[in-house]
Amino acid sequence: MDLLISVLTFTAINVIAVTGVFVLTGLTGLFSLGQAAFMGIGAYVAGLMAVKYNFPFILAAVGAISIGLVAGLIVGLPTIRLRRDYISLVTFGFGEAIAALLNQAVNVTGGATGLSGIPKQTTLTLAIVSAVVCLILVWGFKNSRYGRQCLALRSDELAARSMGIDVNRVKMTAFLLSAAITTYAGVLYGFYTTYVEPVMFGWTKSAEWIIMVFFGGVNSLTGAIFASAFLTGMPEILRAAAEWRIVAYCVIVLLILNFKPTGLFGEYEISLLALWRHLGTRKKGVDRP
Amino acid sequence: MTAQLIINGLSLGAVYALIAVGFAIIFNILKFSNFAHGGFMTVTAYAGFLATRFWHTSLLATLLIASLAGGLLGLLAELVAFRRIRNNKSPVIYYFVSSITLGMLLENLMTIFFSTNFYSYPNFFPVNTIKLGRLIIGVPDLIMFCISTLALIILAIIIYRTKLGTALRSVSYDLDTSGLMGINVLRIIQLAFFLAGFLGGISGVFLGISYTLYPQLGQMVVKGFIASVIGGLGSLEGAVTGAFLLGMVEIFLIRLVGSGISPVFIFIIMLLFLLVRPRGIAGSHIQEKA
Repeated sequence: MDLLISVLTFTAINVIAVTGVFVLTGLTGLFSLGQAAFMGIGAYVAGLMAVKYNFPFILAAVGAISIGLVAGLIVGLPTIRLRRDYISLVTFGFGEAIAALLNQAVNVTGGATGLSGIPKQTTLTLAIVSAVVCLILVWGFKNSRYGRQCLALRSDELAARSMGIDVNRVKMTAFLLSAAITTYAGVLYGFYTTYVEPVMFGWTKSAEWIIMVFFGGVNSLTGAIFASAFLTGMPEILRAAAEWRIVAYCVIVLLILNFKPTGLFGEYEISLLALWRHLGTRKKGVDRP
Repeated sequence: MTAQLIINGLSLGAVYALIAVGFAIIFNILKFSNFAHGGFMTVTAYAGFLATRFWHTSLLATLLIASLAGGLLGLLAELVAFRRIRNNKSPVIYYFVSSITLGMLLENLMTIFFSTNFYSYPNFFPVNTIKLGRLIIGVPDLIMFCISTLALIILAIIIYRTKLGTALRSVSYDLDTSGLMGINVLRIIQLAFFLAGFLGGISGVFLGISYTLYPQLGQMVVKGFIASVIGGLGSLEGAVTGAFLLGMVEIFLIRLVGSGISPVFIFIIMLLFLLVRPRGIAGSHIQEKA
Protein backbone atom coordinates (compact mmCIF):
# COMPACT_ATOMS: atom_id res chain seq x y z
CA MET A 1 0.00 0.00 0.00
CA ASP A 2 2.82 2.35 0.88
CA LEU A 3 4.48 1.46 -2.38
CA LEU A 4 1.29 2.19 -4.29
CA ILE A 5 0.93 5.56 -2.58
CA SER A 6 4.51 6.49 -3.32
CA VAL A 7 4.23 5.42 -6.95
CA LEU A 8 1.03 7.44 -7.31
CA THR A 9 2.60 10.49 -5.66
CA PHE A 10 5.68 10.35 -7.89
CA THR A 11 3.44 9.88 -10.89
CA ALA A 12 1.41 12.95 -9.94
CA ILE A 13 4.61 14.99 -9.48
CA ASN A 14 5.92 13.78 -12.82
CA VAL A 15 2.62 14.61 -14.49
CA ILE A 16 3.06 18.18 -13.23
CA ALA A 17 6.61 18.40 -14.58
CA VAL A 18 5.63 16.93 -17.93
CA THR A 19 2.70 19.34 -18.14
CA GLY A 20 5.29 22.10 -17.85
CA VAL A 21 7.39 20.57 -20.60
CA PHE A 22 4.25 20.15 -22.71
CA VAL A 23 3.71 23.92 -22.70
CA LEU A 24 7.24 24.46 -23.92
CA THR A 25 7.93 21.54 -26.25
CA GLY A 26 4.49 20.29 -27.16
CA LEU A 27 2.81 23.63 -27.74
CA THR A 28 5.64 25.94 -28.65
CA GLY A 29 8.18 23.54 -30.14
CA LEU A 30 11.07 24.74 -27.96
CA PHE A 31 13.50 22.17 -26.63
CA SER A 32 14.80 22.67 -23.15
CA LEU A 33 17.52 20.28 -22.06
CA GLY A 34 17.75 22.19 -18.81
CA GLN A 35 14.16 21.92 -17.68
CA ALA A 36 15.10 19.62 -14.80
CA ALA A 37 17.20 22.47 -13.39
CA PHE A 38 13.96 24.29 -12.60
CA MET A 39 12.85 21.25 -10.67
CA GLY A 40 16.19 21.48 -8.85
CA ILE A 41 15.62 25.15 -8.11
CA GLY A 42 12.16 24.36 -6.76
CA ALA A 43 13.33 21.53 -4.55
CA TYR A 44 16.39 23.34 -3.24
CA VAL A 45 14.96 26.82 -2.69
CA ALA A 46 11.83 25.55 -0.99
CA GLY A 47 13.80 22.95 0.91
CA LEU A 48 16.32 25.50 2.17
CA MET A 49 13.59 27.92 3.19
CA ALA A 50 11.93 25.16 5.17
CA VAL A 51 15.08 23.66 6.66
CA LYS A 52 16.93 26.84 7.55
CA TYR A 53 14.15 29.32 8.27
CA ASN A 54 11.17 27.09 9.06
CA PHE A 55 8.95 28.59 6.40
CA PRO A 56 5.60 26.84 5.99
CA PHE A 57 4.99 24.90 2.77
CA ILE A 58 2.91 27.59 1.05
CA LEU A 59 5.44 30.38 1.58
CA ALA A 60 8.32 28.13 0.59
CA ALA A 61 6.47 27.17 -2.59
CA VAL A 62 5.74 30.80 -3.44
CA GLY A 63 9.37 31.73 -2.77
CA ALA A 64 10.68 28.90 -4.91
CA ILE A 65 8.34 29.69 -7.79
CA SER A 66 9.40 33.36 -7.72
CA ILE A 67 13.07 32.35 -7.88
CA GLY A 68 12.18 29.90 -10.65
CA LEU A 69 10.48 32.69 -12.59
CA VAL A 70 13.48 34.99 -12.18
CA ALA A 71 15.78 32.21 -13.40
CA GLY A 72 13.37 31.56 -16.28
CA LEU A 73 13.51 35.23 -17.21
CA ILE A 74 17.31 35.28 -17.13
CA VAL A 75 17.64 32.21 -19.36
CA GLY A 76 14.61 33.01 -21.45
CA LEU A 77 15.54 36.53 -22.53
CA PRO A 78 18.59 35.58 -24.59
CA THR A 79 17.23 32.17 -25.55
CA ILE A 80 13.99 33.01 -27.30
CA ARG A 81 15.78 34.81 -30.11
CA LEU A 82 17.81 31.74 -31.05
CA ARG A 83 17.28 28.81 -33.39
CA ARG A 84 16.15 25.43 -32.15
CA ASP A 85 19.44 23.67 -31.50
CA TYR A 86 20.89 26.78 -29.92
CA ILE A 87 17.94 26.91 -27.54
CA SER A 88 18.69 23.34 -26.50
CA LEU A 89 22.33 24.28 -26.00
CA VAL A 90 21.65 27.35 -23.86
CA THR A 91 19.09 25.60 -21.69
CA PHE A 92 21.44 22.65 -21.42
CA GLY A 93 24.26 24.93 -20.28
CA PHE A 94 21.90 26.51 -17.80
CA GLY A 95 21.05 23.10 -16.38
CA GLU A 96 24.69 22.15 -16.02
CA ALA A 97 25.51 25.52 -14.47
CA ILE A 98 22.78 25.09 -11.86
CA ALA A 99 23.98 21.56 -11.11
CA ALA A 100 27.55 22.86 -10.71
CA LEU A 101 26.36 25.65 -8.41
CA LEU A 102 24.40 23.19 -6.26
CA ASN A 103 27.46 20.97 -6.08
CA GLN A 104 29.85 23.78 -5.23
CA ALA A 105 27.89 25.85 -2.73
CA VAL A 106 28.61 23.27 -0.06
CA ASN A 107 27.87 25.62 2.84
CA VAL A 108 24.38 26.36 1.61
CA THR A 109 23.21 23.29 -0.28
CA GLY A 110 25.33 20.56 1.24
CA GLY A 111 27.10 20.04 -2.08
CA ALA A 112 27.18 16.56 -3.58
CA THR A 113 25.99 14.94 -0.36
CA GLY A 114 22.67 16.67 -0.88
CA LEU A 115 20.20 18.51 1.27
CA SER A 116 18.35 16.47 3.84
CA GLY A 117 15.87 17.09 6.59
CA ILE A 118 13.18 18.75 4.49
CA PRO A 119 9.88 18.24 6.31
CA LYS A 120 7.66 15.68 4.64
CA GLN A 121 4.64 17.74 3.72
CA THR A 122 3.65 16.48 0.28
CA THR A 123 0.79 14.04 0.58
CA LEU A 124 -0.85 12.05 -2.16
CA THR A 125 -3.89 14.32 -1.95
CA LEU A 126 -1.80 17.48 -2.27
CA ALA A 127 0.11 16.02 -5.23
CA ILE A 128 -3.05 14.99 -7.05
CA VAL A 129 -4.84 18.26 -6.35
CA SER A 130 -1.78 20.17 -7.56
CA ALA A 131 -1.61 18.05 -10.69
CA VAL A 132 -5.26 18.74 -11.44
CA VAL A 133 -4.83 22.47 -10.86
CA CYS A 134 -1.78 22.56 -13.15
CA LEU A 135 -3.64 20.59 -15.80
CA ILE A 136 -6.57 23.00 -15.70
CA LEU A 137 -4.14 25.90 -15.93
CA VAL A 138 -2.33 24.45 -18.94
CA TRP A 139 -5.57 23.34 -20.56
CA GLY A 140 -6.79 26.90 -20.23
CA PHE A 141 -3.53 28.18 -21.67
CA LYS A 142 -3.71 25.80 -24.62
CA ASN A 143 -7.20 26.96 -25.47
CA SER A 144 -6.50 30.62 -24.90
CA ARG A 145 -5.28 33.11 -27.45
CA TYR A 146 -1.72 32.49 -26.25
CA GLY A 147 -1.99 28.75 -26.70
CA ARG A 148 -3.19 29.11 -30.27
CA GLN A 149 -0.39 31.57 -30.96
CA CYS A 150 2.06 29.01 -29.56
CA LEU A 151 0.71 26.38 -31.93
CA ALA A 152 0.92 28.82 -34.81
CA LEU A 153 4.56 29.64 -34.20
CA ARG A 154 5.44 26.01 -33.67
CA SER A 155 4.24 25.03 -37.10
CA ASP A 156 5.62 28.06 -38.90
CA GLU A 157 7.38 30.83 -37.07
CA LEU A 158 7.73 33.06 -40.10
CA ALA A 159 4.07 32.80 -41.00
CA ALA A 160 3.08 33.41 -37.39
CA ARG A 161 5.24 36.51 -37.31
CA SER A 162 3.78 37.84 -40.51
CA MET A 163 0.27 37.36 -39.12
CA GLY A 164 1.22 39.88 -36.46
CA ILE A 165 1.97 37.48 -33.61
CA ASP A 166 4.58 38.83 -31.22
CA VAL A 167 6.64 35.64 -31.41
CA ASN A 168 9.18 36.57 -28.76
CA ARG A 169 6.51 37.50 -26.27
CA VAL A 170 4.56 34.30 -26.82
CA LYS A 171 7.72 32.22 -26.46
CA MET A 172 8.60 34.05 -23.26
CA THR A 173 5.12 33.49 -21.82
CA ALA A 174 5.34 29.79 -22.58
CA PHE A 175 8.84 29.64 -21.15
CA LEU A 176 7.85 31.32 -17.88
CA LEU A 177 4.68 29.28 -17.45
CA SER A 178 6.66 26.13 -18.03
CA ALA A 179 9.40 27.23 -15.61
CA ALA A 180 6.86 28.02 -12.89
CA ILE A 181 5.08 24.67 -13.25
CA THR A 182 8.31 22.68 -13.26
CA THR A 183 9.62 24.60 -10.25
CA TYR A 184 6.44 23.75 -8.39
CA ALA A 185 6.89 20.07 -9.30
CA GLY A 186 10.35 20.39 -7.72
CA VAL A 187 8.87 21.87 -4.54
CA LEU A 188 6.48 18.93 -4.21
CA TYR A 189 9.33 16.53 -4.95
CA GLY A 190 11.59 18.00 -2.29
CA PHE A 191 8.86 18.00 0.31
CA TYR A 192 8.03 14.40 -0.53
CA THR A 193 11.45 12.74 -0.61
CA THR A 194 12.76 15.01 2.23
CA TYR A 195 16.16 14.66 0.58
CA VAL A 196 17.55 16.08 -2.64
CA GLU A 197 20.93 15.91 -4.34
CA PRO A 198 22.23 17.68 -7.45
CA VAL A 199 22.58 14.59 -9.67
CA MET A 200 18.79 14.19 -9.76
CA PHE A 201 18.42 17.24 -11.97
CA GLY A 202 20.73 16.56 -14.91
CA TRP A 203 19.94 16.86 -18.60
CA THR A 204 18.93 13.22 -18.96
CA LYS A 205 15.92 13.94 -16.78
CA SER A 206 14.95 16.84 -19.04
CA ALA A 207 15.41 14.57 -22.05
CA GLU A 208 13.19 11.96 -20.42
CA TRP A 209 10.39 14.52 -20.05
CA ILE A 210 10.67 15.53 -23.69
CA ILE A 211 10.46 11.86 -24.64
CA MET A 212 7.29 11.53 -22.56
CA VAL A 213 5.67 14.48 -24.33
CA PHE A 214 6.46 12.93 -27.70
CA PHE A 215 5.36 9.52 -26.60
CA GLY A 216 1.93 10.86 -25.77
CA GLY A 217 1.57 13.00 -28.85
CA VAL A 218 2.98 16.46 -29.24
CA ASN A 219 -0.30 18.20 -29.63
CA SER A 220 -2.21 16.36 -27.01
CA LEU A 221 -2.28 17.29 -23.35
CA THR A 222 -4.23 14.09 -22.75
CA GLY A 223 -1.37 12.20 -24.35
CA ALA A 224 1.26 13.96 -22.24
CA ILE A 225 -0.61 13.09 -19.05
CA PHE A 226 -1.11 9.52 -20.12
CA ALA A 227 2.51 9.14 -21.21
CA SER A 228 3.93 10.54 -18.01
CA ALA A 229 1.64 8.40 -15.89
CA PHE A 230 2.36 5.31 -17.97
CA LEU A 231 6.11 5.82 -18.31
CA THR A 232 6.54 6.68 -14.62
CA GLY A 233 4.35 3.82 -13.54
CA MET A 234 5.68 1.24 -15.99
CA PRO A 235 9.18 0.96 -14.52
CA GLU A 236 7.49 0.16 -11.21
CA ILE A 237 5.28 -2.46 -12.81
CA LEU A 238 8.31 -3.99 -14.53
CA ARG A 239 10.20 -3.98 -11.26
CA ALA A 240 10.63 -7.74 -11.48
CA ALA A 241 12.69 -7.22 -14.60
CA ALA A 242 14.83 -4.74 -12.63
CA GLU A 243 17.63 -3.74 -14.95
CA TRP A 244 15.76 -4.38 -18.13
CA ARG A 245 13.00 -1.93 -17.38
CA ILE A 246 14.72 1.14 -18.74
CA VAL A 247 15.67 -0.85 -21.82
CA ALA A 248 12.04 -1.85 -22.26
CA TYR A 249 11.08 1.77 -21.77
CA CYS A 250 13.47 2.94 -24.50
CA VAL A 251 12.37 0.19 -26.90
CA ILE A 252 8.71 1.07 -26.44
CA VAL A 253 9.46 4.75 -27.06
CA LEU A 254 11.45 3.91 -30.20
CA LEU A 255 8.62 1.70 -31.47
CA ILE A 256 6.11 4.48 -30.93
CA LEU A 257 8.35 7.04 -32.64
CA ASN A 258 8.85 4.71 -35.59
CA PHE A 259 5.41 3.31 -36.09
CA LYS A 260 3.09 5.93 -34.69
CA PRO A 261 5.07 9.13 -35.26
CA THR A 262 2.30 11.41 -34.07
CA GLY A 263 2.56 9.84 -30.63
CA LEU A 264 -0.06 7.68 -29.03
CA PHE A 265 -2.73 10.33 -28.99
CA GLY A 266 -1.71 12.57 -31.87
CA GLU A 267 -3.89 15.62 -31.62
CA TYR A 268 -6.64 13.88 -29.74
CA GLU A 269 -7.87 15.48 -26.54
CA ILE A 270 -10.40 14.10 -24.13
CA SER A 271 -13.00 16.78 -24.07
CA LEU A 272 -16.03 16.66 -21.83
CA LEU A 273 -17.84 19.16 -23.98
CA ALA A 274 -17.40 17.13 -27.16
CA LEU A 275 -18.44 13.99 -25.34
CA TRP A 276 -21.58 15.68 -24.06
CA ARG A 277 -22.42 17.08 -27.48
CA HIS A 278 -21.87 13.71 -29.04
CA LEU A 279 -24.25 12.06 -26.60
CA GLY A 280 -26.73 14.91 -26.97
CA THR A 281 -26.97 14.66 -30.73
CA ARG A 282 -27.35 10.94 -30.55
CA LYS A 283 -30.23 11.11 -28.12
CA LYS A 284 -32.22 13.71 -29.91
CA GLY A 285 -31.27 12.48 -33.33
CA VAL A 286 -30.75 16.03 -34.50
CA ASP A 287 -28.49 16.57 -37.50
CA ARG A 288 -25.66 18.91 -36.87
CA PRO A 289 -25.74 21.99 -39.05
CA MET B 1 52.92 27.67 -17.45
CA THR B 2 50.78 29.08 -20.22
CA ALA B 3 52.52 26.92 -22.82
CA GLN B 4 51.76 23.88 -20.68
CA LEU B 5 48.11 24.86 -20.48
CA ILE B 6 47.96 25.34 -24.25
CA ILE B 7 49.39 21.87 -24.80
CA ASN B 8 46.88 20.32 -22.43
CA GLY B 9 44.10 22.31 -24.07
CA LEU B 10 45.11 21.14 -27.53
CA SER B 11 45.11 17.49 -26.59
CA LEU B 12 41.74 17.80 -24.89
CA GLY B 13 40.47 19.78 -27.88
CA ALA B 14 41.58 17.05 -30.29
CA VAL B 15 39.38 14.48 -28.58
CA TYR B 16 36.49 16.95 -28.44
CA ALA B 17 37.04 17.62 -32.14
CA LEU B 18 36.58 13.93 -32.94
CA ILE B 19 33.33 13.87 -30.99
CA ALA B 20 32.15 17.14 -32.50
CA VAL B 21 32.87 16.07 -36.07
CA GLY B 22 31.09 12.74 -35.60
CA PHE B 23 28.19 14.74 -34.28
CA ALA B 24 28.36 17.31 -37.08
CA ILE B 25 28.43 14.77 -39.94
CA ILE B 26 24.98 13.56 -39.01
CA PHE B 27 23.78 17.08 -38.43
CA ASN B 28 25.00 18.02 -41.88
CA ILE B 29 22.95 15.36 -43.58
CA LEU B 30 19.78 15.05 -41.55
CA LYS B 31 19.82 18.41 -39.70
CA PHE B 32 19.41 17.09 -36.20
CA SER B 33 21.63 16.83 -33.16
CA ASN B 34 22.46 13.15 -32.80
CA PHE B 35 22.59 12.43 -29.10
CA ALA B 36 22.88 8.71 -29.84
CA HIS B 37 26.50 9.53 -30.66
CA GLY B 38 27.24 9.26 -26.94
CA GLY B 39 25.86 5.74 -27.02
CA PHE B 40 28.16 4.90 -29.96
CA MET B 41 31.13 6.11 -27.96
CA THR B 42 30.20 4.07 -24.90
CA VAL B 43 29.60 0.87 -26.82
CA THR B 44 32.79 1.20 -28.85
CA ALA B 45 34.83 2.01 -25.76
CA TYR B 46 33.68 -1.28 -24.27
CA ALA B 47 34.26 -3.09 -27.56
CA GLY B 48 37.85 -1.85 -27.63
CA PHE B 49 38.27 -2.83 -24.00
CA LEU B 50 37.06 -6.37 -24.69
CA ALA B 51 39.50 -6.62 -27.58
CA THR B 52 42.41 -5.67 -25.34
CA ARG B 53 41.27 -8.05 -22.67
CA PHE B 54 40.76 -11.13 -24.82
CA TRP B 55 43.18 -10.64 -27.69
CA HIS B 56 45.70 -8.31 -26.05
CA THR B 57 45.53 -6.06 -29.06
CA SER B 58 47.90 -3.16 -29.64
CA LEU B 59 46.60 0.40 -29.56
CA LEU B 60 46.13 0.60 -33.32
CA ALA B 61 44.33 -2.73 -33.54
CA THR B 62 42.11 -1.71 -30.63
CA LEU B 63 41.27 1.54 -32.36
CA LEU B 64 40.49 -0.30 -35.57
CA ILE B 65 38.24 -2.85 -33.90
CA ALA B 66 36.44 -0.19 -31.90
CA SER B 67 35.90 2.07 -34.88
CA LEU B 68 34.66 -0.75 -37.10
CA ALA B 69 32.27 -1.70 -34.33
CA GLY B 70 31.24 1.95 -34.19
CA GLY B 71 30.70 2.06 -37.94
CA LEU B 72 28.49 -1.03 -37.86
CA LEU B 73 26.62 0.35 -34.89
CA GLY B 74 26.03 3.56 -36.84
CA LEU B 75 24.54 1.57 -39.72
CA LEU B 76 22.36 -0.37 -37.31
CA ALA B 77 21.22 2.82 -35.61
CA GLU B 78 20.22 4.33 -38.92
CA LEU B 79 18.16 1.25 -39.71
CA VAL B 80 16.52 0.94 -36.32
CA ALA B 81 15.97 4.48 -35.18
CA PHE B 82 16.03 6.84 -38.13
CA ARG B 83 15.06 5.20 -41.41
CA ARG B 84 11.36 4.98 -40.76
CA ILE B 85 11.31 8.51 -39.44
CA ARG B 86 12.82 9.68 -42.70
CA ASN B 87 10.41 7.59 -44.75
CA ASN B 88 7.50 9.00 -42.78
CA LYS B 89 8.84 12.48 -43.47
CA SER B 90 8.33 13.31 -39.79
CA PRO B 91 9.52 16.69 -38.51
CA VAL B 92 13.19 16.95 -37.58
CA ILE B 93 12.24 16.98 -33.91
CA TYR B 94 11.49 13.26 -34.13
CA TYR B 95 15.05 12.43 -35.09
CA PHE B 96 16.20 14.37 -32.08
CA VAL B 97 13.92 12.52 -29.67
CA SER B 98 14.69 9.20 -31.31
CA SER B 99 18.43 9.80 -30.97
CA ILE B 100 18.17 10.68 -27.28
CA THR B 101 16.16 7.51 -26.68
CA LEU B 102 18.64 5.40 -28.60
CA GLY B 103 21.49 6.93 -26.60
CA MET B 104 19.72 6.04 -23.35
CA LEU B 105 19.05 2.53 -24.65
CA LEU B 106 22.71 1.89 -25.49
CA GLU B 107 23.87 3.33 -22.19
CA ASN B 108 21.52 1.08 -20.23
CA LEU B 109 22.42 -2.00 -22.25
CA MET B 110 26.03 -1.36 -21.30
CA THR B 111 24.98 -1.02 -17.66
CA ILE B 112 23.27 -4.38 -17.87
CA PHE B 113 26.15 -6.22 -19.50
CA PHE B 114 29.04 -4.62 -17.67
CA SER B 115 27.32 -3.36 -14.49
CA THR B 116 28.32 0.03 -13.15
CA ASN B 117 31.83 -1.19 -12.37
CA PHE B 118 34.75 0.89 -13.53
CA TYR B 119 37.15 -0.75 -15.95
CA SER B 120 40.37 0.67 -17.25
CA TYR B 121 42.35 0.10 -20.41
CA PRO B 122 45.74 -1.53 -20.10
CA ASN B 123 48.67 0.83 -20.39
CA PHE B 124 49.63 0.99 -24.06
CA PHE B 125 52.62 3.22 -23.60
CA PRO B 126 56.06 2.25 -22.28
CA VAL B 127 56.82 5.86 -21.29
CA ASN B 128 54.06 8.02 -19.93
CA THR B 129 55.52 11.49 -20.11
CA ILE B 130 58.10 13.33 -22.15
CA LYS B 131 59.89 16.32 -20.69
CA LEU B 132 60.71 19.15 -23.06
CA GLY B 133 62.53 21.73 -21.00
CA ARG B 134 59.96 22.70 -18.41
CA LEU B 135 57.04 21.34 -20.41
CA ILE B 136 55.57 18.01 -19.55
CA ILE B 137 53.80 16.25 -22.41
CA GLY B 138 51.75 13.18 -21.67
CA VAL B 139 52.48 10.47 -24.22
CA PRO B 140 48.83 9.33 -24.34
CA ASP B 141 47.82 12.96 -24.95
CA LEU B 142 50.38 13.34 -27.71
CA ILE B 143 49.31 10.14 -29.46
CA MET B 144 45.64 11.06 -29.09
CA PHE B 145 46.38 14.41 -30.62
CA CYS B 146 48.24 12.87 -33.56
CA ILE B 147 45.71 10.13 -34.27
CA SER B 148 42.74 12.48 -33.92
CA THR B 149 44.33 14.98 -36.27
CA LEU B 150 45.19 12.22 -38.72
CA ALA B 151 41.64 10.90 -38.61
CA LEU B 152 40.26 14.38 -39.23
CA ILE B 153 42.63 14.94 -42.17
CA ILE B 154 41.64 11.62 -43.73
CA LEU B 155 38.01 12.53 -43.23
CA ALA B 156 38.60 15.89 -44.90
CA ILE B 157 40.22 14.12 -47.87
CA ILE B 158 37.27 11.74 -48.14
CA ILE B 159 34.80 14.61 -48.01
CA TYR B 160 36.54 17.05 -50.31
CA ARG B 161 38.51 14.85 -52.72
CA THR B 162 36.45 11.78 -53.46
CA LYS B 163 33.29 11.17 -55.42
CA LEU B 164 31.55 9.81 -52.34
CA GLY B 165 32.50 12.97 -50.50
CA THR B 166 30.99 15.11 -53.23
CA ALA B 167 27.83 13.07 -52.98
CA LEU B 168 27.89 13.50 -49.22
CA ARG B 169 28.20 17.24 -49.56
CA SER B 170 25.46 17.53 -52.11
CA VAL B 171 23.10 15.44 -49.98
CA SER B 172 23.89 17.65 -47.00
CA TYR B 173 23.08 20.65 -49.16
CA ASP B 174 19.75 19.37 -50.39
CA LEU B 175 18.57 15.86 -49.73
CA ASP B 176 15.66 15.74 -52.13
CA THR B 177 17.30 17.40 -55.10
CA SER B 178 20.42 15.25 -54.91
CA GLY B 179 18.11 12.25 -54.87
CA LEU B 180 16.59 13.50 -58.11
CA MET B 181 20.07 13.90 -59.56
CA GLY B 182 20.63 10.18 -59.26
CA ILE B 183 22.47 10.02 -55.97
CA ASN B 184 21.47 7.07 -53.86
CA VAL B 185 20.48 9.11 -50.82
CA LEU B 186 20.04 6.10 -48.56
CA ARG B 187 23.60 4.89 -49.28
CA ILE B 188 24.98 8.34 -48.52
CA ILE B 189 23.06 8.56 -45.27
CA GLN B 190 24.42 5.14 -44.38
CA LEU B 191 27.89 6.35 -45.25
CA ALA B 192 27.43 9.32 -42.95
CA PHE B 193 26.32 7.08 -40.10
CA PHE B 194 29.22 4.72 -40.75
CA LEU B 195 31.71 7.59 -40.70
CA ALA B 196 30.15 9.08 -37.57
CA GLY B 197 30.23 5.70 -35.85
CA PHE B 198 33.82 5.17 -36.97
CA LEU B 199 34.93 8.48 -35.47
CA GLY B 200 32.80 7.69 -32.42
CA GLY B 201 34.82 4.50 -32.06
CA ILE B 202 38.13 6.36 -32.02
CA SER B 203 36.84 8.91 -29.52
CA GLY B 204 35.33 6.12 -27.42
CA VAL B 205 38.69 4.39 -27.02
CA PHE B 206 40.44 7.67 -26.26
CA LEU B 207 37.85 8.61 -23.67
CA GLY B 208 38.24 5.14 -22.18
CA ILE B 209 42.01 5.66 -21.97
CA SER B 210 41.88 9.16 -20.49
CA TYR B 211 39.09 8.42 -18.04
CA THR B 212 37.95 5.01 -16.95
CA LEU B 213 35.24 2.95 -18.57
CA TYR B 214 31.80 3.40 -17.13
CA PRO B 215 28.36 3.26 -18.75
CA GLN B 216 27.82 7.02 -18.59
CA LEU B 217 30.98 7.70 -20.58
CA GLY B 218 28.83 8.63 -23.54
CA GLN B 219 27.53 11.70 -21.78
CA MET B 220 30.75 13.32 -22.94
CA VAL B 221 28.82 13.73 -26.19
CA VAL B 222 27.58 17.03 -24.80
CA LYS B 223 31.11 18.39 -25.27
CA GLY B 224 30.79 17.61 -28.94
CA PHE B 225 27.35 19.19 -28.92
CA ILE B 226 28.64 22.40 -27.35
CA ALA B 227 31.61 22.47 -29.71
CA SER B 228 29.61 21.92 -32.87
CA VAL B 229 26.99 24.49 -31.88
CA ILE B 230 29.60 27.09 -30.96
CA GLY B 231 31.43 26.28 -34.18
CA GLY B 232 28.32 26.78 -36.23
CA LEU B 233 25.90 23.94 -36.88
CA GLY B 234 26.44 22.10 -40.10
CA SER B 235 30.05 23.12 -40.53
CA LEU B 236 32.73 20.51 -39.99
CA GLU B 237 35.53 23.10 -39.88
CA GLY B 238 33.48 25.05 -37.37
CA ALA B 239 33.05 21.94 -35.25
CA VAL B 240 36.81 21.40 -35.16
CA THR B 241 37.49 25.05 -34.32
CA GLY B 242 34.79 25.04 -31.67
CA ALA B 243 36.20 21.86 -30.15
CA PHE B 244 39.74 23.18 -29.83
CA LEU B 245 38.40 26.45 -28.44
CA LEU B 246 36.30 24.54 -25.91
CA GLY B 247 39.28 22.39 -24.91
CA MET B 248 41.43 25.50 -24.34
CA VAL B 249 38.77 27.42 -22.47
CA GLU B 250 38.06 24.43 -20.29
CA ILE B 251 41.71 23.85 -19.35
CA PHE B 252 42.21 27.54 -18.56
CA LEU B 253 39.00 27.72 -16.54
CA ILE B 254 39.91 24.64 -14.54
CA ARG B 255 43.22 26.31 -13.79
CA LEU B 256 41.61 29.61 -12.87
CA VAL B 257 38.46 28.66 -10.98
CA GLY B 258 38.66 24.91 -10.42
CA SER B 259 36.88 22.05 -12.16
CA GLY B 260 33.74 22.13 -10.01
CA ILE B 261 32.57 25.60 -10.82
CA SER B 262 33.91 25.82 -14.39
CA PRO B 263 30.59 24.67 -15.99
CA VAL B 264 29.05 27.90 -14.69
CA PHE B 265 31.68 29.98 -16.45
CA ILE B 266 31.47 27.91 -19.62
CA PHE B 267 27.73 28.56 -19.60
CA ILE B 268 28.22 32.30 -19.19
CA ILE B 269 30.84 32.43 -21.95
CA MET B 270 28.60 30.38 -24.22
CA LEU B 271 25.66 32.66 -23.55
CA LEU B 272 27.67 35.81 -24.24
CA PHE B 273 29.12 34.23 -27.37
CA LEU B 274 25.72 33.25 -28.74
CA LEU B 275 24.39 36.74 -28.02
CA VAL B 276 27.19 38.27 -30.07
CA ARG B 277 27.25 35.64 -32.79
CA PRO B 278 24.08 33.55 -32.76
CA ARG B 279 25.15 31.49 -35.80
CA GLY B 280 28.37 30.21 -34.29
CA ILE B 281 31.91 30.77 -35.51
CA ALA B 282 31.64 29.39 -39.02
CA GLY B 283 28.23 30.97 -39.36
CA SER B 284 27.02 28.65 -42.06
CA HIS B 285 23.51 29.33 -43.18
CA ILE B 286 21.20 26.49 -42.52
CA GLN B 287 18.36 26.86 -44.90
CA GLU B 288 15.41 26.60 -42.65
CA LYS B 289 12.27 28.56 -42.62
CA ALA B 290 12.31 30.69 -39.46
